[in-house]
Amino acid sequence: MQVVSLAFLAFLAIISVVNIIIPRKCRYILLFLASMGFYISIDIKGMFVLSLSILSTYLSGIIIEKTALLSKDRSVSSNEKKEAAGRNIVFIACIVVNVCLLLFFKYYGFFSRNINSLLGTDRVPMLSIVAPIGISFYILKALSYLIDVKRGTLKAEKNLIKYALYVSFFTQIVSGPIDRAGNLISQFNFPVTVDFDRFRDGFLQILWGYFMKLVLADRMAIFVSAVYSDVKPGTITFIGTLLYTFEIYCDFGGYSHIVIGASRLLGIDVKNNFESPYLAASISEFWRRWHISLSSWLKDYIYIPLGGNRKGTFRKHLNILIVFAVSGLWHGANWTFIIWGLMHGVYQILGYIFKPLRDRAVRVFKVDRNQLSHRCFKIAVTFSLVNFAWIFFRAESVSQAVEIAKRSFEFTPWVLTNGDLYKQGLDSANLLLVLWGLILVICVDIANYKGYIIREKIMGLSLWFRWAIMIAAIMVTVICGIWGPGYDAASFIYQQF
Amino acid sequence: MKSKLLNVFKVVVFSSIIAACIFGAAAVVRRKDSSYKYADFFQEAKKNNIDVLLMGSSHVINGINPLTLYEDYGYTSYNMAGHGSVMQSTYWELIEALDYCSPKWVVVDAYMLEKNYQYLDVMEENAGKEDINTSVDQLHLNMDAWPLNKLKIAAVSDLIKDPSIRNEFLFDFIVYHSRWNELTEADYKAFSKETDRNRLFGAEMRYGVELSPVVYPDPGPERCLDEHTVGQEYLMKIIDECQRRGIGIVVTYLPFCATTEDRIAANTAGVVAGMYDVPYLNMLDAGIINLYTDLNDRGHLNAVGAKKVTEYLGRWLYENADLSDHRGEAGYEYYDKCAIQFDDENIKLSVSGDSLYDQLEMLSRNSVSSVIYLNQNSAIFGDDNLKELIANISGTDKIWNTNGPYILINDVESQRVYEASDGEMLDGVETGLGTLVYQPVEQLFRLLYAKENEEFNYLYDDEHAAFDIQIITYDRNTGEVISHQYYRPYGHQYRTD
Repeated sequence: MQVVSLAFLAFLAIISVVNIIIPRKCRYILLFLASMGFYISIDIKGMFVLSLSILSTYLSGIIIEKTALLSKDRSVSSNEKKEAAGRNIVFIACIVVNVCLLLFFKYYGFFSRNINSLLGTDRVPMLSIVAPIGISFYILKALSYLIDVKRGTLKAEKNLIKYALYVSFFTQIVSGPIDRAGNLISQFNFPVTVDFDRFRDGFLQILWGYFMKLVLADRMAIFVSAVYSDVKPGTITFIGTLLYTFEIYCDFGGYSHIVIGASRLLGIDVKNNFESPYLAASISEFWRRWHISLSSWLKDYIYIPLGGNRKGTFRKHLNILIVFAVSGLWHGANWTFIIWGLMHGVYQILGYIFKPLRDRAVRVFKVDRNQLSHRCFKIAVTFSLVNFAWIFFRAESVSQAVEIAKRSFEFTPWVLTNGDLYKQGLDSANLLLVLWGLILVICVDIANYKGYIIREKIMGLSLWFRWAIMIAAIMVTVICGIWGPGYDAASFIYQQF
Repeated sequence: MKSKLLNVFKVVVFSSIIAACIFGAAAVVRRKDSSYKYADFFQEAKKNNIDVLLMGSSHVINGINPLTLYEDYGYTSYNMAGHGSVMQSTYWELIEALDYCSPKWVVVDAYMLEKNYQYLDVMEENAGKEDINTSVDQLHLNMDAWPLNKLKIAAVSDLIKDPSIRNEFLFDFIVYHSRWNELTEADYKAFSKETDRNRLFGAEMRYGVELSPVVYPDPGPERCLDEHTVGQEYLMKIIDECQRRGIGIVVTYLPFCATTEDRIAANTAGVVAGMYDVPYLNMLDAGIINLYTDLNDRGHLNAVGAKKVTEYLGRWLYENADLSDHRGEAGYEYYDKCAIQFDDENIKLSVSGDSLYDQLEMLSRNSVSSVIYLNQNSAIFGDDNLKELIANISGTDKIWNTNGPYILINDVESQRVYEASDGEMLDGVETGLGTLVYQPVEQLFRLLYAKENEEFNYLYDDEHAAFDIQIITYDRNTGEVISHQYYRPYGHQYRTD
């Protein structure tokens, strides 16, 4: 059962209705059963790995909770200290097991290929391993829980079903967001009432998500695939890179909206995963707005433990590079992803290094930092850098990425008028639809950036306007959406990570 | 409680509006091929006007013209055949049709009897993806027009294996929503009675000429298929169904460039028909058509071939089936109207075909009277295909024994054909144009005039002196000249410029 399917919508509708009908204290059981059923329907073999991760972190959490409590108590005896040391071993072993699961299923092929290539042998056997769906997401959720328990910032969950539900919550397991146990488990304990307003709000957010995914992302994917499968000259390649930048946002952003909306229908609030990322005025701001749940995870569980910015400039820069390299590797077992991550790290470091110079330029040229034009300039520069890095993210090899990057700088504007533009899988009507759709997305993002939530505005309209907007949105999505056999609709890009 | 009920009511109303909108959109975006073909079937079936159902594949679509049957014998029929219809598709097409009408006779063509697969989305073991797509696509032509009911579900379940593809037949919006960018004015007329419809009662005429027909080895009349195929099974079911309902049935095998395997299948069809004691018309070697003039391509008849085959079938029905002549009868005005339209269309095509071949082919239908003149030593005398077409009009082999000049006068009204070649003259030829006199003078000059107006020479004007071929068409009743076409050879092509 894919998230983009009628089956999922029917499944969600049934679970939502039953969730409203049954007593609150039973809701988490329903959600757990639904989550298990959902996961079995998409990857029955992966259930073993998921169960292993859940059970190992659940048991370890209970065991190490005591350690966390003891470590706060200075008057512990030597026996208790030994016991605590033993529990530390449990903690480390559990981390190692879960990280190894991730490394084995996701990176075995990558590492074995590179080691063999480096040594010029084939000693490391090549295995054909299919990673369980969602492993990158639920392992990080499980690890964050365990580390929080170890740090003592979170109580270990005693109820296995609730904990299993946290790790495997069906709206999040395929592609995140990587929610924290502190946010989710408390909501399982104290479910809110799903009233009509919440229902409408969730429905609208799901609708927006489907619009972004089906109408825009999957449509742009056709053009992008044409460009990346057979490198085109100049401006078409540049447009292809631009469309990919929006495609990945509409794809993952759309998915996140569907997940957040679906969770809301079930009485669960999930934090936003995207906050108008392409309106960021710097790379560091971009990462505060893009895939927020992953960025905050990397910050909390890798960057800060490494010393963050507390150990001098060199270590700070090194830590940034490490975090972004890990981020890149997390996104995929390929050098292209690592280079993409490192590019963002380098962008940030260069930003810090050149900050005095930039400040001086601002003073010399008397630039008003608060001016709209200056803000727009910074946004444009940031967008360009991000756009350039996405080339490596999308390309299948480093050499292809270099080729695409090189071609995208060739200036061939005549393709806009000689019809070549419409030979990349999308005709003029489709490209026009993409253009209008992107204008809408940008307007909604600008409104969101300024604190206006469009959904709330729509909800405030009279019934007829509200319905007219909703009906129009539904019709555009079902008619113009890329679904059915007419198209080979792509699955969510982030599902592969 | 009151507000909950109100909310439920709102959801129900909103859902109903959405359902209605999607229903409307589905009708608009639906490919109209199927409704185009069957619109008149539903109309005439409702009036119980259909006496004969013509079943089969594209061979029947192009090979049997209900309007010829009506014009010649007054029999009302409908061509229900589908492109690429194997016997099981034909069976279900018949069952669907019998739900709407009670014909007195069914004509079923046994082409593709040798096909031994059940599901159209699986086909044979080595079937390519493209073949399967075509097979499924062609089934849409047969199926889309039928309303969703138990019968359609049973038909689709029997013909399609993949449940997701089955759904595409039951809810075709899944397939056709992607047509949003190719909608035409006709699509928006989905709800009006002015929809485009096939005025040939399901048939489609082709007007090309196959210039290189192939004759394959004959396996002999005794050779039958080695195995009992799915095709045979469904032919039996068709016969069973007709006999159970008391409907007369005749099995046919229409003529074309049949391969050895086709001939074996044709023999087998005779055996199956014999088992049930139903008549069988194997037209492959019945001398009905001229392979060199009456085929549009190697597999399908052109309009002239269709006329010959339909006349043959009409004669058989006249002699063997007790059918009523409905010409001029009240309630059958629509057949009369379509017949007139068809004749007008034929005249249009006869007076200005797309090519010399097509025009000569159309002239043999005798919709208009004509004069054909070929200049002395023209390259046309080396073109056997063209000579075959002319011989098809004249009914003699005079054209084969001359190098020109050559003249053919086909006066349809008097049903007389006049020919002259080399130095021969014609005098006192009574035609719609008047009493004609023909006299060859020299290579680039000849005389053809009516005695009533000796000043006007039909076969010469300075502007077209260099053209080798002239075709004059005139109204069969009034004698008014409709067109005067000049052609000259360019290599293997004939052009009017």
